[in-house]
Amino acid sequence: MKNIHSLWLLPVAAIVSPVYAADYLTVEQAQKAIFADAQSFEARPAKLTSDQQDKIKSLSGLRQRWDTQQIWRAVKNGKTLGWFVVDEVIGKHEFITYAVGLSPDGHVLGVEIMTYRETYGGGVRNAIWRQHLVGKTLADPFKLDEDVPNISGGTLSSRNVMDGVKRVLAIQKVLNLVE
Amino acid sequence: MKTSHRYVVVALLGLGFYANVASADENLFGYIKGVEVMPKGTYELDEQITYRGDKGVGTYHAWDNKTELEYGVTDKFEAAVYVKAQAINTKNIVVDAYIPGNETYGPKLSGVGAEFKYMFLSPAKDDFGLAGYLDLGYSWLDPHSGLDKDIYSVEAKLLAQKYFMEGQLVWAGNLGIESTYARRAPLSADRQASLPVDYDWPNHNEMEVELSAGTGLSYRFAPNWSIGGEALYEAEYETVVGQERWSVFAGPNIHYGGEKFWVTLTAFHQLKGYGHPGSAQLDDSLQLIERTKDEVRLKVGFDF
Repeated sequence: MKNIHSLWLLPVAAIVSPVYAADYLTVEQAQKAIFADAQSFEARPAKLTSDQQDKIKSLSGLRQRWDTQQIWRAVKNGKTLGWFVVDEVIGKHEFITYAVGLSPDGHVLGVEIMTYRETYGGGVRNAIWRQHLVGKTLADPFKLDEDVPNISGGTLSSRNVMDGVKRVLAIQKVLNLVE
Repeated sequence: MKTSHRYVVVALLGLGFYANVASADENLFGYIKGVEVMPKGTYELDEQITYRGDKGVGTYHAWDNKTELEYGVTDKFEAAVYVKAQAINTKNIVVDAYIPGNETYGPKLSGVGAEFKYMFLSPAKDDFGLAGYLDLGYSWLDPHSGLDKDIYSVEAKLLAQKYFMEGQLVWAGNLGIESTYARRAPLSADRQASLPVDYDWPNHNEMEVELSAGTGLSYRFAPNWSIGGEALYEAEYETVVGQERWSVFAGPNIHYGGEKFWVTLTAFHQLKGYGHPGSAQLDDSLQLIERTKDEVRLKVGFDF
């Protein structure tokens, strides 16, 4: 995540440390939550070229903020169960760290919120809300109050997590991780 | 200044008292209003302290306090009630019809009011945010002279807001119109005697209309922290002289948004303006009759 955080300008880092933080899941816990049957996870971090970043934006309509994406291959009996991607999006005050599980054919298998630090909008952690993202493909609209409900008081967080999932699907396609 | 300092201490202690109370209508700006409203069923307590100082001559320090309770009626409609107080210390300034000499006192209750905001479009959901805002106010102290004055006001604003960079950069714009009906109390015999014989202190009914336009940009440069700038144009009109006064203020702001509370500090400086009628004492290139050269505003919000 180093290069993710380096996106922030931190001229007054000493005084701006967040006074609150909630880490709900580690990478391992999130992997198990989405791919319960996986026997192992192979780290496959991807270094994205500027051309790939442009394609991601073209497919998802969203800017790819960093050039390294944390990706794991979920494996069972030597076969690919799917892809596990850790990503971050902007929340109301801080980044939201979340994980997306993708099927080999480009469907969302699950979304887990790993770190979240907001007053309202905690609803993105709500399993029922996250369930609306399961099954989505790049062909879906990804519109709040259309195919994904809005979270009152957490509209920016729900919008950015929803958009982030769409961007992760675009990353999968650009990296040819779709079978 | 002693009374003003005491006033600040009291206000800050008040903020500390409320610090344990648990942000949606988070104010990124000191003077420009955002579009978003409180979620349904939630409350926010806002404390706003504004310092106004320097008319170029004499001594002029004024402190305004506004304590406001906001409530999310629905996910699109927010209502609020507020209480205002003020403190003033002015010496050696006499402006015909506006400032009749020295006045010094500590914090006094000065007014009450109610505010309403309806969000037509959400900046996070609909890409471009738009809201209507209404403020109904009654004050019994003149914020400029510090003397007794009944002021009834209705202010309507159109608020716009746009998120850029997934919300890291925020633009907001406001357009407003305020109608004011006011009447001053007569001057005391002692004060009248201390003023020049031709000093005019009208205490008939007054009607004024004020137009305003403001804009601001805020950039989140680190988790929880944003910096930005804002500017506000205000122009007052009345029946006899038409445009009576106008001013342009601008300045930087810094904002902290946390889980339990948010804080915004804005320093506002008057860049240009004009006040009618002119005054032998005041600089005509600025609006110093009802404004000062500088303002500093601190806002704190607690959500629960």
